[in-house]
Amino acid sequence: MAVQNILKEAAERKTVLVQRTLRSGQQMSYDGNVVILGDVNPGAHVTATGDVIVMGVLRGTVHAGARGDDEAVVIAFRLRPTQLRIAGHIARPPDQDAGNPEQPEIARVKDGTVVIEAFPPGGERQAKM
Amino acid sequence: MGEVIVVTSGKGGVGKTTATANIGAGLAMLGHKVVLVDADIGLRNLDVILGLENRIVYDLVDVTQGNCRLRQALIRDKRFEGLHLLPAAQTKDKTAVSPEQMRELCGELKEMFEYVIVDSPAGIEQGFRNAIAGAEKAIVITTPEVAAVRDADRVIGLLEAAELNDPKLVVNRLRPRMVQRGDMMNIDDIIDILAIDLLGVIPEDEQIIISTNRGETVVQEDRSFAGQAFRNIVWRILGEPVPLMSFDRELGFFGRLRRLVGLG
Repeated sequence: MAVQNILKEAAERKTVLVQRTLRSGQQMSYDGNVVILGDVNPGAHVTATGDVIVMGVLRGTVHAGARGDDEAVVIAFRLRPTQLRIAGHIARPPDQDAGNPEQPEIARVKDGTVVIEAFPPGGERQAKM
Repeated sequence: MGEVIVVTSGKGGVGKTTATANIGAGLAMLGHKVVLVDADIGLRNLDVILGLENRIVYDLVDVTQGNCRLRQALIRDKRFEGLHLLPAAQTKDKTAVSPEQMRELCGELKEMFEYVIVDSPAGIEQGFRNAIAGAEKAIVITTPEVAAVRDADRVIGLLEAAELNDPKLVVNRLRPRMVQRGDMMNIDDIIDILAIDLLGVIPEDEQIIISTNRGETVVQEDRSFAGQAFRNIVWRILGEPVPLMSFDRELGFFGRLRRLVGLG
């Protein structure tokens, strides 16, 4: 799926730019999309009715599509969340080795479950080269 | 006019009080006028670690409530010329002092001393708010444990919210052998999350336990590994670019050998 299609819905919402790292205990919620220019540390919490994009390491908890939008996505340069929520779906990393690829990834809901893929699509091939 | 530095951590037991005592003693050793303020009201420790417990007549709460003059409550250290202690009250609790009173107190102290070092209580409630109220700089102490790093992160966020920017990090109780085996968080892991400047790393050292039990510091001990680490921190506070110490000696001969051949 092309990047433009993934973020199609996003363009119709308001977007807020957060120019700092969210540390443990800090939280934010926003009616729209959230773009964070920093990390989301463990113990930090981001809630958005739209998409969440983290231009850094996502180690905390993020809830995208908080008002029930299954199309919402979470994108991070490094996706290592404590917990991910998209609309009513809750996901957490596997207890054993999560692989932790060193590349941007996207989380979204497919067939009722949260799936994580390389971002942009095709990034997997780039990583192997 | 001196500067006010708060030593804090969020989590308890990571070494705030020990670090406060040793950094203060180290600065005094180099001829600076230093006062250590124990802001852990109700659970005072700093006097015990410095071996000054039996000299306390007045305390911080007596000063803020006007029961005595500030100078009457200051205790001179028995070993280091220029090192003073303002002890905490033991019979009151943290609500006995307000952040405004602490700000005023720190303001008075920095007229008298080059360095005012405030030992913060654990936690992020009023005791913490009091401790940071008068501070211009902050040192955050953590140990290489997930919970301690998490709390340090929380505290850094609160310090930034209180406009105490650029806090410096001290990693305490590092065990180089465990790091080498991959059983302990290493410095890079910690810096990755906390993203603040590193002021120093203190290795685990039995000497610390021995000396704190005796009411002494380790910073003056030439042969103590932790003492060397504290001396380096003191130099960095004074603006000297001291490189991070290598833990080769701690790793022993085979550790060094492995590192030489690229296995370490």
